[in-house]
Amino acid sequence: MLLCRTTLLNELNLGLNLWALGGTGLVAGFLGSALGVGGGVLIVPILTLALHLPIHVAIASSLVAIVANSCTAAGIYTKARLTNVKLGLLLETATIPGAIIGGLAAAVIAPSILSALFGLVLLYVAYTMVTRRYLMSEDVLSADNSVAPDNTPKNLSSSLANSYYDQNLAKVVTYKVTHTPVGLGASFFAGVLSSLLGIGGGIIKVPVMNLVMGLPMKAAIATSAFMIAITTTVGALIYHYYGNIYPFIVAPLIIGVVIGARLGVELAQRARGVLLRRIFGVFLFLVALLMFLKTANVI
Amino acid sequence: MEKTKSDESRLNNWVSLGFKLGIAVSLALVVIGLIILLSLSGAKGIQPLVRLEQIPAAIVISVGILILLLTPIIQVIVAIVLFSIARNRLFLGISIAVLCFAAISLVLALI
Repeated sequence: MLLCRTTLLNELNLGLNLWALGGTGLVAGFLGSALGVGGGVLIVPILTLALHLPIHVAIASSLVAIVANSCTAAGIYTKARLTNVKLGLLLETATIPGAIIGGLAAAVIAPSILSALFGLVLLYVAYTMVTRRYLMSEDVLSADNSVAPDNTPKNLSSSLANSYYDQNLAKVVTYKVTHTPVGLGASFFAGVLSSLLGIGGGIIKVPVMNLVMGLPMKAAIATSAFMIAITTTVGALIYHYYGNIYPFIVAPLIIGVVIGARLGVELAQRARGVLLRRIFGVFLFLVALLMFLKTANVI
Repeated sequence: MEKTKSDESRLNNWVSLGFKLGIAVSLALVVIGLIILLSLSGAKGIQPLVRLEQIPAAIVISVGILILLLTPIIQVIVAIVLFSIARNRLFLGISIAVLCFAAISLVLALI
């Protein structure tokens, strides 16, 4: 791992700006942990476009940074009882197989088609998150929000129900988890996209957990962070094995991400869930725009 | 009901502790490695490729990265142990499935 393949020697003959790497990690960690995403959608473009790293090195570095981000956030959110660990583990049973399928499918699907499709999905989700009239109240059980019958078995539903103390509302919020089959399907899809596009999958998981499964926004963000830590660590271990992780690139990224993640978690815990939801929607719009620009080879 | 709540509490506490410990150890090693690197090479002109004199720094940082990457997997194992103690067969099975899928994913990628 300490030695590089000969073909990469010329590509990586560049001076590293440790401050730029640390700053990238700081921003990605802050936004990622506040919004329950991994931060890969920010890190990869910055590492390739601004810092001129080869794409596979950027993705590998990004995956490690995502793991650091998610672990930092998960440690804090879980202690605050925001993370629904049981739900996270349940949804991971669909996400990881999705990631395996996605990895296999990556060889046959044109990346430009994927980027365009992904952008369309993001636009729809972003629109829903920002404009939905019926905003889920954070202190109401979610059973009435469904548009389709809930097929979650009763014993599973009661096992997954959870509560946490909301600092902003200054009270305990209790919620039920519904539409688990839909959540599993969406998690599988998130896993497929995660492998195909090198992202954590939070941009799918958070809206689905919030809009469909009945989790308040903060619980959805926290649970997503827990799930992303598990999903992306597998990908990162694979890159590590093939020697695509360079310690001097990753080290400042990790430091920046951990600091940013701590700040982001503080924001998420104190902010109103509705505000987080709208910020997330705007974030998705921007990501969708980047995806379309990338598809059109503008960036 | 009380037993369920105390099981949940224990799960949250141990998983949280595991993540925090993993991040703390990993971060400490990364910072130490970076300090060694900066003391040997200064902040300017650092290349991704490791020079001979930079090997100690690279080793320390690499161990930190490995600990970071293993942290989430260890938390799944912690969950397996706690669900086993609580005799929660449903989530014990789910946690074992997650670990198995992760292992399969690794094996497939490495073939």
